[in-house]
Amino acid sequence: MNATIATSIFAAFMVLTLALGLLAVRGGGRGKGGLAEWSVGGRSLGTVFIWVLMAGESYTSFSYLGAAGWGYNFGAPVLYVLAYMSCGYAIGFVVGPMLWSYARRHGLVGITDLVAHRYGRRWLGTAVAILATVCLLPYIQLQITGMGVVVTTISYGAISLNWAYFIGFAVTTLFVVVSGLRGSAWVSVLKDVLVIATLAFLAVYVPQHYFGGYGPFLDRIVAEKPQWLTFPGHHSGGLDQGWFITTSLLNSLTVVIFPTTVAGYLGARSADALRRNAVLLPFYNVLLFVPMLLGMAALFVVPGLTGADSNLALFKLVVDSLPAWLVGVTGVAAALSSIVPMAVFMLVIGTMWGRSVLGAVPRLANRQKLWSQVVVVVAGALALLLTYTAPNTLVRLSLISYEGMAQLVPMILLGLVWRRLTLYGAVSGLAVGLVVVCGLVFTEHDPVGGVNAGMVALAVNLVVALAVTWLGPRPVDDRPDAEVLASDLDTGEDGPSEAAGTGRGAEPGAAGESGVSPSPAK
Amino acid sequence: MLKRPTLLWLLVPHVLYLGVLPLVNRVTPTVLGLPFLVFWMLLATLLTPAAVWLAWRGDRKRAARRPAAPAGERGAA
Repeated sequence: MNATIATSIFAAFMVLTLALGLLAVRGGGRGKGGLAEWSVGGRSLGTVFIWVLMAGESYTSFSYLGAAGWGYNFGAPVLYVLAYMSCGYAIGFVVGPMLWSYARRHGLVGITDLVAHRYGRRWLGTAVAILATVCLLPYIQLQITGMGVVVTTISYGAISLNWAYFIGFAVTTLFVVVSGLRGSAWVSVLKDVLVIATLAFLAVYVPQHYFGGYGPFLDRIVAEKPQWLTFPGHHSGGLDQGWFITTSLLNSLTVVIFPTTVAGYLGARSADALRRNAVLLPFYNVLLFVPMLLGMAALFVVPGLTGADSNLALFKLVVDSLPAWLVGVTGVAAALSSIVPMAVFMLVIGTMWGRSVLGAVPRLANRQKLWSQVVVVVAGALALLLTYTAPNTLVRLSLISYEGMAQLVPMILLGLVWRRLTLYGAVSGLAVGLVVVCGLVFTEHDPVGGVNAGMVALAVNLVVALAVTWLGPRPVDDRPDAEVLASDLDTGEDGPSEAAGTGRGAEPGAAGESGVSPSPAK
Repeated sequence: MLKRPTLLWLLVPHVLYLGVLPLVNRVTPTVLGLPFLVFWMLLATLLTPAAVWLAWRGDRKRAARRPAAPAGERGAA
């Protein structure tokens, strides 16, 4: 009976999700068809949609599963999620408008495009696309598996893991292929409403139900589990203050250039929509306290969870204490927290390949949107297939995902404000940084000496980039500074006429010949 | 940065979450029942939007003082 109710609710919401996602294509307006319309929503999303989308893509299945699991296992170290997201939003106040105006002025649709333009080499875009894909694929799998466990749990076992994986893949792929970024934004609306409502409810209900209110719940944690409440947490294996500070800092720098975040930036209608969001988005982080605290509450209710089971800390409470229909609704919120980020991950992988890998082949270059859509299906199917056949491959890769992406920070952020950084410097730094990350992580030296391994690699990366820039060869590039550098005060309107949403970005080599203004001093 | 000192507000979250961590890494005193570290992180989360807003306000004031730049405010200098 319970299973039928919860499963029906889940099924109904999946249909609604699909409908919303597919209908979003009608929101397209004038700029029909082009790659920029599909990849970055025609650069037309206002403050509200950007808020919903960016909150939607940052609040992933990890927030429900991993955050509760970390809270349950370690306690305090989980706060790093909060810290890096808040700091990231502050950095995004400058970086968001900067990338947005640069991309708009030169008709770019993603970070691969952006480095290809900055350094004047198409192959660099291709290389970055391949690197980013390797880093992003594991995230798609994490969302698929995350959705799988949630759906199986909330359907009281009625939907098997394998079917749950497939449903997640199928729903997401369908609407992404059709509606692109706009579809993700529309589905995000449903997602955010459900997430906010269910978490707010759980935040009140669970402590009341099990402990008789917040007072007794908090008193009990403070009295019985103080080890969980400060760094280094409970048996966290070296996740002390140094780790927290370096990880939060590294991630806050990385999140602003993360391809999915950048897709959100580029979708904005104006730079001010992004600035407003830098102010408004941190409020969403308050919600993150809920799974963290409830994960700790689960310590008293369902003690003894280990390994992957601890990720279900929150859902054990939900299934244990709520009626079936509420279990279903909470499950839908969590499932959508997998679907929305997964959609954007697939979208950016598709965009990167359609634009910078396949789009770089002259024979294929005039069908960039089509190729992007094909790659979405291929990437999603590959992640699904690996989930079924070799789940551990991508899990291992995911260890280096974020720290690997972090190595792009000098190439992108420093490169866009400092003209002297050379192609050779940026590439050597990136290469060395990646080697250091892989070396440390795969030999299980992360954290190394209490410091996030990615941060160590980033430091080496930066030193190498600067050294090669100063001592190495200097490629000839006679474009003016204004053509190559970016500024967050730029309005981005003097370039190819993308403002009208004409989808000009779909043309190969749309990189404009504009930039008449003097270089903004930084 | 030097030309736009109000951007320094953007460092506030970094200071609150990361800079003062050694001082706030404690269970007591509890505030409203919350262990101190959790309370502090909640406070930082609520102050972050305020800090970013102050940076934004500073930027807009600066832009308003220089009406010369046509539409774009391109020359950040």
